[in-house]
Amino acid sequence: MSSKINHHHHHHRFNTQIFPPPCPHLAEFRARNGSKPFRALQDCLRVKPPGGRAAIRRDPSEVPRCGACGESARPRLYACLACAAISCHAPPGPSHAAAHATSMPPGHEIAVDVDRAEIFCCACRDQVYDRDFDAAVVLSQTATLKSATIQSAKPENLRKRRRVDYRPWSPDIRDRVLMETGSSPLENGSDLPRGLRGLNNLGNTCFMNSVLQALLHTPPLRNYFLSDRHNRYYCKKKNGVSNSNAGGKRNVGTADGHGNKNARLCLACDMDAMFSAVFSGDRKPYSPAKFLYSWWQHASNLASYEQQDAHEFFISMLDGIHENVEKDRHKPHSQGHGDCCIAHRVFSGILRSDVMCMTCGFTSTTYDPCVDISLDLEPHQGGSSKSVSTKTHHSCNGEVDGMNPGQNCGISTLMGCLDRFTRPERLGADQKFFCQQCQVRQESLKQMSIRKLPLVSCFHIKRFEHSSIRKMSRKVDRYLQFPFSLDMTPYLSSSILRNRFGNRIFPFDGDEPDASNEMSSEFELFAVVTHTGKLDAGHYVTYLRLSNQWYKCDDAWVTQVNENIVRAAQGYMMFYVQKMLYYKASENRAVS
Amino acid sequence: MRNSVNRPPTPDAAEDPGKEPTLQEIINIKLIESGEKERLMELLRERLIECGWKDEMKALCRAFIKKKGRSNVTVDDLVHVITPKGRASIPDSIKAELLQRIRAFLVQAAV
Ligand SMILES: [Zn+2]
Ligand SMILES: [Zn+2]
Ligand SMILES: [Zn+2]
Ligand SMILES: [Zn+2]
Ligand SMILES: [Zn+2]
Ligand SMILES: [Zn+2]
Repeated sequence: MSSKINHHHHHHRFNTQIFPPPCPHLAEFRARNGSKPFRALQDCLRVKPPGGRAAIRRDPSEVPRCGACGESARPRLYACLACAAISCHAPPGPSHAAAHATSMPPGHEIAVDVDRAEIFCCACRDQVYDRDFDAAVVLSQTATLKSATIQSAKPENLRKRRRVDYRPWSPDIRDRVLMETGSSPLENGSDLPRGLRGLNNLGNTCFMNSVLQALLHTPPLRNYFLSDRHNRYYCKKKNGVSNSNAGGKRNVGTADGHGNKNARLCLACDMDAMFSAVFSGDRKPYSPAKFLYSWWQHASNLASYEQQDAHEFFISMLDGIHENVEKDRHKPHSQGHGDCCIAHRVFSGILRSDVMCMTCGFTSTTYDPCVDISLDLEPHQGGSSKSVSTKTHHSCNGEVDGMNPGQNCGISTLMGCLDRFTRPERLGADQKFFCQQCQVRQESLKQMSIRKLPLVSCFHIKRFEHSSIRKMSRKVDRYLQFPFSLDMTPYLSSSILRNRFGNRIFPFDGDEPDASNEMSSEFELFAVVTHTGKLDAGHYVTYLRLSNQWYKCDDAWVTQVNENIVRAAQGYMMFYVQKMLYYKASENRAVS
Repeated sequence: MRNSVNRPPTPDAAEDPGKEPTLQEIINIKLIESGEKERLMELLRERLIECGWKDEMKALCRAFIKKKGRSNVTVDDLVHVITPKGRASIPDSIKAELLQRIRAFLVQAAV
C-alpha cells in the first residue's frame, strides 16, 4: 500500500482564520458596486493551460503595460477595478498605481495584479482578500479544466465525523470489586517507562523486533490493546464457535484458504499477548516466538530465516491484522475509513493524485488509501544549481525543528523528500495517460498530495534499490535529517491546491477551517527504525522516544541514549504520531 | 482629467507613433507573445524552490513580521525589505541558466 511516486512543492501556509478584515477601501468598493462587484473582471480572467495560473487580460494576446510610463516589463502591474487603467507598482520606486489611486476621485484604490489575479489596495499598499472574487477565480480555473474524480476509496472525511464529547468516568463500588477480583496491579519497579522491554533475537529477526518495538509504543495502538479492545481469550472463544458453524455451513470465500489448522490464526490475538507480556512489568527480554510463528503462517511466501526487510514486515503484519479481524466482521468496510481494523484506524491515510493532460488541462483525480509513505532519497546534492554561497550555515547542526532548513548545506531532509513527493511531476512520453477529453494518450503532469492524514504517519525511506533486471540490489547509505516535530500542512491536498490557485479565500478539497484540523497536522516523532551495515548483513535497531527521553532498542538490549545519537542515526522508517496523541511527560505518572 | 470607465488598458504611450520601441521592449514583447516568458517564470520558480531560496525568503519574511507585529506589516513593506536580500542570494547558476535560455530564444526568434 505504500505509494511509489516521488515529487515537489512550495507551500503557503494559509490559514482561513487569520484573515484580516477587508480594508476600508475594499469595503467601500464593494458597497459602491452592488452585488456583483467583479462581474466585469470575470470576462478578463485567462487561465493558461495546462493547469496554469489565472491572469487578467482583456484579450488573450494582450501585452499589458503601465498607462503612465508605458512599461510592460515591470514585475507588478495592476489593473484598476474601477476604470481598468493599468499601472505599474515597484516599491520602493515610483508607483503609478498609487499615483492613479490618489489622482482619481475616491473609488480607484482597489486593483488586480494582472499576472496573479490577486487583489491589491493601492492606498493601503497591501494585498486584500475577497471571498467572491476568489471564488470566481477558482471557478474559472476549474471550469477550464473539466475534471474527473475517480474514487478508489471514498474519502471518509468528506462527511464530517461526529465528535464524541468527553465524559469523565470513575468506577463505582461494583466496578471496583470487579477490577480488584479480575486483575492484579502492575509493578513498575524502576524509573524506566512502562513497556520498555528487550526482544530476544530468534535468529536474524531484528527486522521484526525493530518494527515490533515501534508498534508496541505507538500510542493509539498501545492504548487499544492495553484497554482490552481485542481480548485473545474472547476472540478464541468466538472464533471457536464460528468455526464449528463453518463446519456445518461450509464457509464461502477465502476464510479457509489455509485449511482448518489456520482457522484460529489471529495476529491481533498475538499482539494482545505480546502487549500483556511487554507491559507486565517484567524487564527480562521477551521472546516473540509465538508471534513470529503466526506471522510465518500468515506470510508464508516471505518466511525464512534469512534477513528480511523491516518495511516489508511492517506492511505484511498490518495486512495480517486487517485480514484476521476482517474475517469475523461481515459488514463491508474499506481501508482509510475510520471503521476498519485497528491497524488501519491507526495507520491508514488517503493520498490524492491528480493527473493533468498537458494538452487540454483535463484533470483526473484519484484517492487511494495508504498505510505509509515511501520516499526516495533526494538525488545527490552539491550540483551546480545547489550553490549555497550566500546561505546561512547556522542551521546545519541538526537543531532545526520548526524551521525548514530547505536544502541548506546540501543535507537531505525529510521535508525535502516530502517536497519532492508532492511536487508536480511530468510524466514522460513513455507513460502517457489516456485523456478522457482529448480521447487519446497525452503527456501529463502528475501531482500527489495527502487528502487525509493518519493518526500515525510512517515514512519509509527507500534505502534499498532493487534492480529486477540485473537481479541486483544496493543500499544507499546517505544521511537524512529528520525533525522531532513535523508539520504536515504543506503536503495536504488543501495546501497543494491552494498553491495551484494562488492566495485565495476558498475552501479547497474539503478543507475544514476548524482548529482541530489545523492541530492534527502537527506530528511528533516517537520511533525511528534504523539500518546499519550492508544490504544482506545489516542490523536493525529502533530508537524509541518515551516521556521525551530516547531509548535504543537493540534486540534484547535496551539503553538510554542522548538525542544527538538519534539525530545522527541512519533512519529507515520514521514513525510520527499526531501531536495531540503524544504524551511528552505524563506517561509515567502513577494512576492512583 | 477623468478617465471613462470603459477606457481600454492599452496606454496612450504605446500608441504614440512618434515613439520607437527600444530593443529591450521588443524582446520583452516577443517573450510574452511566444509564451516563453511564462515558461521562463515557471522554470525560475521551480529553481528557486529547489535551491532553498524560497524557504529562505519565507523565513526572512516570518522573522520580519514577527518583529513588527502581524498587523503592522503590508505586502509592500515586505517587498521593500526582502527584495535586496532576495536579489543578492539568487545562485549564479540559476542566473546563468536563465540567461542561456533567453539567448537560445533570441537566436531562434531571430530578433
Ligand atoms: Zn508606470
Ligand atoms: Zn482607476
Ligand atoms: Zn485599502
Ligand atoms: Zn484475535
Ligand atoms: Zn483494516
Ligand atoms: Zn486532454
